[in-house]
Amino acid sequence: MSSAQWCVVALLGLGVGWMVGVAGGTATAAEEAPPAEMAVEGRRLYARHCSHCHGIRMVNPGNSSFDLRRFPQDDKARFLTSVTKGKNTMPAWGDMLQAEEIERIWAYVLTGGKS
Amino acid sequence: MKGILGAAALAAMLTALAPAAGLAQSAAELQRGAADTKNVLNYGMSYDLQRYSPLAQIDKQSVKRLVPVWNYSYDDNRAQESQPLVYDGVLYVTTHSATMAVDAKTGRQIWKSKIEYPPETPRIVCCGIINRGAALYDGKLFRTTLDANVVALDMKTGKELWRSNVIDWKAGYSQTVAPLVADGVVITGISGAEYGIRGFIDGWDPATGKHLWRTYTTAGEGEPGAETWPGDTWKRGGGSTWITGSYDPALNTVYWGTGNAGSWNSNTRKGDNLYTCSVVALDPKTGKIKWHYQFSPNDFFDYDSVAEMVLADIPVNGKPVKALMNANRNGFFYVLDRTDGKLLAANQYGKKVTWADGIDAKTGRPIDSEVTQNLRATEKTVEVWPSTLGSKNWSPTSFSPKTGLVYANTLDIGMKYTPTREEYRAGATYWGADIEWVWPQGPRGYLKAIDPATGKSKWEAPSDIPRFAGTLSTAGGVVFTGKLTGEFEAFDAETGEKLWQFQTGSGIEGQPVTWEQDGTQYVAVSVGIGGVYAIFSGDERLASVPAGGSLWVFALQR
Repeated sequence: MSSAQWCVVALLGLGVGWMVGVAGGTATAAEEAPPAEMAVEGRRLYARHCSHCHGIRMVNPGNSSFDLRRFPQDDKARFLTSVTKGKNTMPAWGDMLQAEEIERIWAYVLTGGKS
Repeated sequence: MKGILGAAALAAMLTALAPAAGLAQSAAELQRGAADTKNVLNYGMSYDLQRYSPLAQIDKQSVKRLVPVWNYSYDDNRAQESQPLVYDGVLYVTTHSATMAVDAKTGRQIWKSKIEYPPETPRIVCCGIINRGAALYDGKLFRTTLDANVVALDMKTGKELWRSNVIDWKAGYSQTVAPLVADGVVITGISGAEYGIRGFIDGWDPATGKHLWRTYTTAGEGEPGAETWPGDTWKRGGGSTWITGSYDPALNTVYWGTGNAGSWNSNTRKGDNLYTCSVVALDPKTGKIKWHYQFSPNDFFDYDSVAEMVLADIPVNGKPVKALMNANRNGFFYVLDRTDGKLLAANQYGKKVTWADGIDAKTGRPIDSEVTQNLRATEKTVEVWPSTLGSKNWSPTSFSPKTGLVYANTLDIGMKYTPTREEYRAGATYWGADIEWVWPQGPRGYLKAIDPATGKSKWEAPSDIPRFAGTLSTAGGVVFTGKLTGEFEAFDAETGEKLWQFQTGSGIEGQPVTWEQDGTQYVAVSVGIGGVYAIFSGDERLASVPAGGSLWVFALQR
């Protein structure tokens, strides 16, 4: 199962636009889709800072931490606030991650973990 | 002269007797372990960590009448891996956010003492926001906190008596370990080998919290074993100590397992990397290492060796031996002579093990398989078994002297492993590898009844979603454990037949215990999903298991 998922890396360019198209659903969201290389960097940052709670490639049953694949893709502001200031049981990362790093992680979240 | 001595002796006697008016957990009581069936005073049910009880009211037949007596809410949605302690009719339990005393008969809370820690602390905790339990001694309860403090509470009131900071959590250090009290010293370990820490074990004065000693688990400059680390890699070399050690009072020796080396890419730290992935035998008064045995030198795969070092006097090759047993994460079951650390047996118990072809009986070292040889040579992606979760993760085993078998919740999971070169960043993970899971065709886990001499199973009880709970064995011939889907289970220790189960409402990652009070045998277990498998595996079949920590207590229906 997971092997197949990792192969999806090859479909990265296609994947970003496709995911936003499907999940975000609006033309605005598609226009705002960040460049693919941002998502690749975001994936690395996600693996280092986020995966130990939100799961490898965001695959997570969602019973002890938020399932990021279900994060509303048209609500970037909410994402930035949650990461910077923390939310519920999630700690704040504002003093640890740079703003541009959080942007990259957002780019990765928009891929639904498929990049 | 005689008079003076007499007065001194009297004073000493009075000092010793003073706590008896309230709550006395003397060294002698702690040593009774499982033989004291009215109490559960030790992590692991006794100093030897056998998790075996001589109680037999609940047996293979009567277990079918086991029913819940009460349930106590932890008011907490994190994973619950804490082992309850029982003393004089009171249960003492911990979560990451509180310590609680509960009346064993009624389930009513006697006191609750909340734990505060900076909300950023979970950033440096890799595998579940948890606590594994407390230690009791001399009227005090000792525990650790996520942000690396050892605290002592008054057992009667829950009032904090002292608090000692272990180290700055911001550098990646955290604590989930249940302390051990051995030879009058409170001993604690540390977590954080995924964050570039330098591991250690500490000794504390139970009366005051004064720091008595620290023994590092990575050998630094000028220390024996320093030559096994290139440059200053030992400074971030891992070797965490997050599971409570065992203790042999007769040998006055503590046996503590050590975690993986960091980062995972072992080509960045060529050498054996002492004392990571080892067991160290310590003098509890000084922390001095008497001997060590390293299971996985220069470990590539996160094969922590922290899990329980079980002590038992068993026959090996027909001769009685003071043994130390360990179902190691690396897939091999080890039997050592605990008097000197000599290897007696090391046999594969993991279903599939591809990183090593075996353990050299003479040198005690693993024989690298072709897979591992290639990885060391090229640093290119390999498929290897077991995964970083190991053939068994932290889930504690039990040993029944009656059957001579070790009951272990084992895993059958592989991984595609790609080493990376990680740059150290304080307070961030320091993995040093990318992994992806490789799942087996069938079940991902088995409860196994393992013969320690051969590593072979007498029976196996498979589970599609692997079990991550501890096991408990009893003289009634029953093995208790639980599933991540919430079933608390009882098995026949001889045959593996499932005898009974009860749905507890959340996933079980706790450590069952048993005791008797007023002629009734009770069994207790903490439940609550959210540990390493729930978080990391991406097993979406667990989506239907609600979070929610609580404590269940069972007894036979009258």
